[in-house]
Amino acid sequence: MALILTDAAITLSGKPLIRPFSLRVEPSETVTLMGPSGAGKSALLAFIAGDLASPFAASGTVTLDGASLDGLPPERRRIGRLFQDDLLFPHLTVMENLLFGMPRGKPEERLARAEAALAEAGLAGFGPRPPHTLSGGQRARVSLLRALLAEPRAMLLDEPFGKLDAPLRQAMRDVVFRNIAARGIPCLMVTHDAADVPEKGRVLLLKDGEVRDA
Amino acid sequence: MAGTLRRVRTLAGAAPLFILWALPLLLALGMLAPALADGEAWGLLLAHPQLVPGLALSLFTGGAAALLALLLSLLLLAGLHGSRVWPLLQGASAAGLALPHLAFAIGFGFLVMPSGLLARLIVGGDAPPAWLSVQDPWGLSLTLALAMKEVPFLLTAAFGILARGDAATRLEGELRAAASLGHGRGSAWLRVLLPQLLHQLRWPLLIVFVYGATVVDMALVLGPAQPPTFAVVIWHALNDASPEANRMGLAGTLLLTLVLALALGLVGLLAAALKLPLRRLLSAGPSLLAAPRASARIAGVMLLAVMAASLLLLLVLSLAPRWPYPAVVPPALDLAAWRTMAAAPQPLWLSLGLGLAAAGAAVAMAVLWFETQPRTRDGVVLGLAVLSLALPQLAVAGGQYRLFLDLGFAGTLAGLFLAHLAPVASYVLIVLVGPWRAFDMRYVQAARALSASPRRVLLAVKLPLLKAPLLTAAAIGFAVSVVQFVPAQLVAAGRFATLPMEAVTLSSGGNRPLIAAFALALALPPLLAFLAAARLGRPRWR
Repeated sequence: MALILTDAAITLSGKPLIRPFSLRVEPSETVTLMGPSGAGKSALLAFIAGDLASPFAASGTVTLDGASLDGLPPERRRIGRLFQDDLLFPHLTVMENLLFGMPRGKPEERLARAEAALAEAGLAGFGPRPPHTLSGGQRARVSLLRALLAEPRAMLLDEPFGKLDAPLRQAMRDVVFRNIAARGIPCLMVTHDAADVPEKGRVLLLKDGEVRDA
Repeated sequence: MAGTLRRVRTLAGAAPLFILWALPLLLALGMLAPALADGEAWGLLLAHPQLVPGLALSLFTGGAAALLALLLSLLLLAGLHGSRVWPLLQGASAAGLALPHLAFAIGFGFLVMPSGLLARLIVGGDAPPAWLSVQDPWGLSLTLALAMKEVPFLLTAAFGILARGDAATRLEGELRAAASLGHGRGSAWLRVLLPQLLHQLRWPLLIVFVYGATVVDMALVLGPAQPPTFAVVIWHALNDASPEANRMGLAGTLLLTLVLALALGLVGLLAAALKLPLRRLLSAGPSLLAAPRASARIAGVMLLAVMAASLLLLLVLSLAPRWPYPAVVPPALDLAAWRTMAAAPQPLWLSLGLGLAAAGAAVAMAVLWFETQPRTRDGVVLGLAVLSLALPQLAVAGGQYRLFLDLGFAGTLAGLFLAHLAPVASYVLIVLVGPWRAFDMRYVQAARALSASPRRVLLAVKLPLLKAPLLTAAAIGFAVSVVQFVPAQLVAAGRFATLPMEAVTLSSGGNRPLIAAFALALALPPLLAFLAAARLGRPRWR
C-alpha cells in the first residue's frame, strides 16, 4: 500500500514552484518534507489530496495501492489529513465528529468503535461534549482519532504540531506516529520545524524548487 | 467637574437618537396597548368576513415565500460556494438587494400577467390567455415574487456570516477536512456548513417571514383581491374615514402580530422535534453527494433573468405609449410618460429629499451614539431597532399614526420625516454597530499620542477609515427611506405624495407607461445610492 509520486511538479501562477520529482512512501513509513514557508509544501499535500486550487497547478501522477488517483475528487481518495488547526466541527459533539467520517454500518457497532478509540486515547466519557470544552491537546487527539477512524489508506500531515506547546507537542508526536505505524499506512508530513521529525524515517528538503534528501 | 462634563456629553450624545427615534417608537408601540382592551374593535374584527381567509393567505404567502427563498438561497450557496462564479453571485445579490420590492412587483406583474411579455413570447394568439398569473386567489404570484425578491437578502446575510472574522478560512478548512473524511462537496455542505449557517440565518429568515406575511404594497399589486391578505384588510381599515374602522385596524395589527408569534412558536417546536433525527443524519457516515453545481447555475440564471427582465420591461413599458397584444416589441417609443412625471416632479423630489435627510440624520445620530456611549449600552438601542423591524410594519405604523394624530403631527412634513426616520435609523444602527465597535482602537491611541484632539481623531482618523461602512449604511438608509409606503401613506394623511404612494395609486389604473416610469423612478435612486457607496467607499490606500 505504497504512496507513489511520479514526476510531480507544482506551479504558482504559471511559474515553477516545485520542479518535477518522484517519491515513494512505503506502508508504515513516515517521510518528512522540510522547507521554508512559501516553498510549496502545503500545495504538494493539496495536490496529493486532490484539492489543489488556483493559482496553483500541478502535473505528474499520484498512485496509491497500485491505482492512479488522477482525476479523483478528495472524498474518493481515502487519504486522511491532519492540519495545523484541529478543524473539529463546532456544531457536532466529539462523538459526532468521530462518527462523521467513519464508514457506514450498524449504528451500535460504529458507536462501540468510536467509544473504544476514545478510551484508548484517554478520552473516555468525552463523547457527548462539544469540542470547545476540550483543551488544545484533547482536541488534537480527537482530530487524529477522527482521521484514523475514517480508515484512510494514507495520511498527510500539514504541520500538525505547529500550534501545540512543547510538552504537548512531544506527546502528540508519539501518539500520531505510533498510530500511523500500527495501521501500516504510508504517511507524508510537511513541516518547517526540525523538532517535529520522527526518530525513524526519511527526511527530504524542499528548497529553491528542488526536492532532495536532507 | 470633569465627571459632570462627561455626564453632560453622554446625555447630549444620546439625546437626538432618543428624542427623534427611540421615544416616538416606544410611544407608537404604547399606542397599541389601548387597542388590546377595545372590545368593540375586537368584536368588529372577529366578525369580519375576511378575517380567517385573509389570515390564512397571509400565513401562506409569508411562510411559503420564506421557505422558497431559503431553499433557493441554500441551493445557490451550496452549488456555487468555492466556484468561479461566486463573486458574480455576490455582485448580483447586491444589485438585487437594492431593487425595491414594489418596483420589482410591478415589473414582475407586467412580465407574467396574461397580456404580459411572457404570454406574448410563449402563447401569442389574438387575445391574451386566460391565465390567473397575477392577483390569483391563492396568492401564488405574490408568494413567488416575494420569494425571489428575498433571495438577495438571505444571500447577503449568508455572505456576511461566511466572511465574518476568520470564519471564511475556518469553514474552508472544515470543508477540506470533511473531504479528507470521505464526504463529497454536497454532503460536506449539508452536514458541516448548513447547520452552522442555518443557526445564524434564523433572524434574517424571521424578518423575511414577518415581512412577507405583513407586506402591503406588493400585496396590493400582485396579491388577491377577494379576499385579500389580512395585511391588506387591516390596511384598508386603517385608511378608512371612520374611527371605528381605524380602531378595528389597530386591533387587527395586534392580532396579526399575535398570530405570527404563534406561528413562529409552532415552527420552533417543530424544529426542536426534528433536531434529534437530523443530528443522527449529520454523523451517519460519509456520503459522496456532490455539490449541486448545475441546478444552482440554472436557478441563479433564471432568478437573474426574471429580475433583469422585470427591470428592463419597466424601461420599455415607460417608453411605449401603445403596446397592443400580441406584439413582442412596442410599435413606437416616446417619452410621454416621463414628461408627465417631469411635469409633476414633487413626489420624486419629496422622496429624494426625505431619503437624504433621513439617511443623513440617522447616520449622524448613530455616530453620535457610538462616540459618546459605552458599548454596553448598544444592546438597548439594538434591541429596539431589531424589535421595530421584526414586528409587523403595520403594527408599528398603526401605533405611529395614532400617536401623530394625537400630537397633531399627521399631515405635516415633520411627521412625514419622523415616519421615514424610524425604520431608516433602525437599519443604520444595525448595519453600523459591527464595523464601528470592531474599529481597531490602537489607531485612536496612536493619534492621541500624536497630540490629536478627540475631534481631530474622529474627523481625520476614524471617519476616513470607516468610510466604507458609513457610506453603505447611508445607502441602505436612503434605499429604505425611498421605498417607505405604509407608515408614510398613513402619516401623510393625503397632504403629501411620495414615489411609492404614487406608484401604488397608479398601479390600480390603466396607464401602463406612467406606472412603469414611476416604478423605475423608484428603483433607480436606491441602485444609484448603492453604486455610489461602493465606488466612494473604496479605500484609497489599496
